Amino acid sequence: MLRRPLLLFLLLAGCSKGPEADLSYISGARSLAAEWALVNEQASQGHLTDAYVRTMRKAVRQQLQTNATSLSDPNTAYAQEIAALLREPDDARPAELRAHASKLKQIEDSLESS
Amino acid sequence: MNPLELTLGIMTAVGGFVDISQLVFSGQAGSMFGYSLISAFAISTIGIIVYGEMCGRVAAVAHQPLLSLMRHRLGLKLGLGTLLASFLSTLITTAAEIGGLGMILNHLTGAPYLPMCIVSTLVLMASMWVLPFKWIERTYGLLGLCMIVFVAALFAIHPPWDKIAGGFVPHVPRGLSTKELFNFSYFVVAIFSAVMFPYEAFFYSSGGIEEGWKPKDLLTNRVTSIVGMGLGSLLSIAVLALAALLFAPTGVAPQIPGSVALQTAEPFGKLGLILALLGMLFAVAGAAVETCMANAYSVTQFFGWEWGRHKKPWEAPRFTVAWIVVMLLALAIVMTGVEVMNLVGYAVVFSIVVLPLSYLPLMLLANDRSYMREYANKWLAKGLGWIFFVIVSVAAIAAIPLYVITSGGQA
Repeated sequence: MLRRPLLLFLLLAGCSKGPEADLSYISGARSLAAEWALVNEQASQGHLTDAYVRTMRKAVRQQLQTNATSLSDPNTAYAQEIAALLREPDDARPAELRAHASKLKQIEDSLESS
Repeated sequence: MNPLELTLGIMTAVGGFVDISQLVFSGQAGSMFGYSLISAFAISTIGIIVYGEMCGRVAAVAHQPLLSLMRHRLGLKLGLGTLLASFLSTLITTAAEIGGLGMILNHLTGAPYLPMCIVSTLVLMASMWVLPFKWIERTYGLLGLCMIVFVAALFAIHPPWDKIAGGFVPHVPRGLSTKELFNFSYFVVAIFSAVMFPYEAFFYSSGGIEEGWKPKDLLTNRVTSIVGMGLGSLLSIAVLALAALLFAPTGVAPQIPGSVALQTAEPFGKLGLILALLGMLFAVAGAAVETCMANAYSVTQFFGWEWGRHKKPWEAPRFTVAWIVVMLLALAIVMTGVEVMNLVGYAVVFSIVVLPLSYLPLMLLANDRSYMREYANKWLAKGLGWIFFVIVSVAAIAAIPLYVITSGGQA
């Protein structure tokens, strides 16, 4: 009985594309930038082990790369912001990384409101 | 009562509450919605205590494991459908746990992820082959208690206890947009699913029979389910509250499971980080063993084959083959390169869909006086059992649409 509406719903949900479909990747990238900043901040205070810092940075980069390649259009402002984030060195200053996070947040908010 | 008897409940709960999916959900829930989802943990904990106690009681009185009941009460076709769905969701969960182990070992040692997944699978299989059930439960249950470092970290940072207490009262945070409201609903459903994973009931119920519980052990069962599940819930709530305090202000909604360990590095430095990673390692290892054995229990009990880890591996050959195959299948899923976070989302959604069908036969039997005699459900267990059945049924209907709308809570 519920099969048809559910299938229709899944079909419609699957059809969404463009900036709307990219929103989850943008918010994911925003959080990844914040996680990276937190790792670098705590590392600079000597709170973390070398292995943890190295592997977390690598995991963040890989995940960011996945988000970047999943975007529907690589020429958008948010795609360029994620690319800029990926160009940051591993030991980038937390403030710089948070600036990227905050730019992504602004883009995310404007996409949501439009 | 010997305190070591509590380890079945502790392993069940630590494996269920602080497995890789729960760590991620707790961290994200606290970061996105502050303390307001504590109530979802508290209520679902009561649910799993109610069903866990029922499972243990049925095991002690009727000596019936859950899957055997399912076949008799639901009939072969529906029972087989439920078995298949629950097998798949639990297999995905095992794969997520193995992926989680690889990640945690990667963060601890710096060694590459995939080889670490293989090493952890081999170590888990060796421990399951060598250790008798009692020692499996004690080893993973007690080592998982390293997770208490998260509770210690919460105390160390002097959180606003009044706000945390307020989180126990069910409420929706003010001023949420429609999108955030959907996300909030998804997290409620995901938390219920992750706390009440069917594998916990399969494992606990079978564990009671492995330990030879009889009606005289009903007090042990009650205390074990309350203390074990309560402890698991406490650990999850600590992770959530730490995320609300440390992650939310910096915009972190953990995308990488390893980020959760940052919570203890803040107050305790390197020692806190290492203890958190070790706690996560043992808890997730316990969850991998629990899910793998739950699947082996399910298949062998459903088909009426010889089962049990209290027997030598060759005395229950189909059971032994079943857990080995489950573990290798889970490893094969991880080796395809699929992301752990995706596995976590699928596992949670799949699980909630089969929850009502897993718990219905249990309730029917626990209510049945001809079977359970004076140990049948009284008004409280019966009432709570039906209330939670309605809750998980509603959650099961809402799970897939919410997962799609919110892109697994990321929208």
